[in-house]
Amino acid sequence: MNIELYLQSGIVESYALGLATSLEVAEFEQLLPHYPELREVLSDFEYHLELFAIDNEVPPPPGTKERIEARLREIPAPPVIRRDQERSYRRQKRKGEYIPVEVSTPYIRVHKHWRTFFIAVFILSKILLGLAIYYYLEYRHTQKHVQQLEEQLGKSGEIKN
Amino acid sequence: MEKTITKDILKNELYAGQRPAVELLYTRYSGMLFSYILQFVPGRAEASTLLVDIFSRLTPQLQTAFDSSLSVYCWLQVEARKIILEYIGKEERRGAGRTNKAYYSSLLEDTSPEHQWVFRELFIYGRKKEELAAQSGKDLAYISGILRECLLVIRKNLE
Repeated sequence: MNIELYLQSGIVESYALGLATSLEVAEFEQLLPHYPELREVLSDFEYHLELFAIDNEVPPPPGTKERIEARLREIPAPPVIRRDQERSYRRQKRKGEYIPVEVSTPYIRVHKHWRTFFIAVFILSKILLGLAIYYYLEYRHTQKHVQQLEEQLGKSGEIKN
Repeated sequence: MEKTITKDILKNELYAGQRPAVELLYTRYSGMLFSYILQFVPGRAEASTLLVDIFSRLTPQLQTAFDSSLSVYCWLQVEARKIILEYIGKEERRGAGRTNKAYYSSLLEDTSPEHQWVFRELFIYGRKKEELAAQSGKDLAYISGILRECLLVIRKNLE
């Protein structure tokens, strides 16, 4: 497929603005994982759309938020995603109930709690390294001191004899 | 862009419940969406009612945003447009002498009146390309070509 030509068809813009037909949407979503250029152009266009929206922002009239809250109170809340549901998803994925998707990015994503853990491990390793150096120097110093004392004892023994 | 809500951020808010997620979306995106709505309906009161409708209808569907290939904001815009067009269709007030806020149309100021007409009819009033082709006596490929040019001009002017 000539991806440059496909991009020039305005499909990305059409998709992001909601103008694409259901057939075009299906085709675009099928191609998206296979062509990183598509993802890149889409992300870039979305970024510019959002910047445009920020520049043109108009605050809604006062009381709008309260009306939304009141309306939402009338609607039964949808089930909230729970962490255990995510774990069950992973289990099902392992069992092969989901189709694995190949990702071309070299990066991996980890939960943000790992950041705290890694920082703590890093600080702890630095403290331990500092303590190791300190005790090594202390040991060297003591060794020298013991050696000196032994030499002194040796000399005083010779004098007595 | 500090205002962007990524899917991960939204997911974390949803872990805490629907209310914090809506609070976050409203704080960041209500002004942007309100302005977006004003290009479809001219009155602030009407646009405000639509904003209420959009938030209350899309909140229970927030989890579907994670399955979409679009960013959270673009997903909101696309879904909001569907609700707005449904409203405009029901009200049968498609372009009847309304002066809407120039929004995406403002990016097409340098194009021909025909280009502006095609974009307005398709995007703002949600008409089909086939309808426009029939109305203008042009073929479908011609209308599709005009739309394609409009979209490329929008992309260029946004950058």
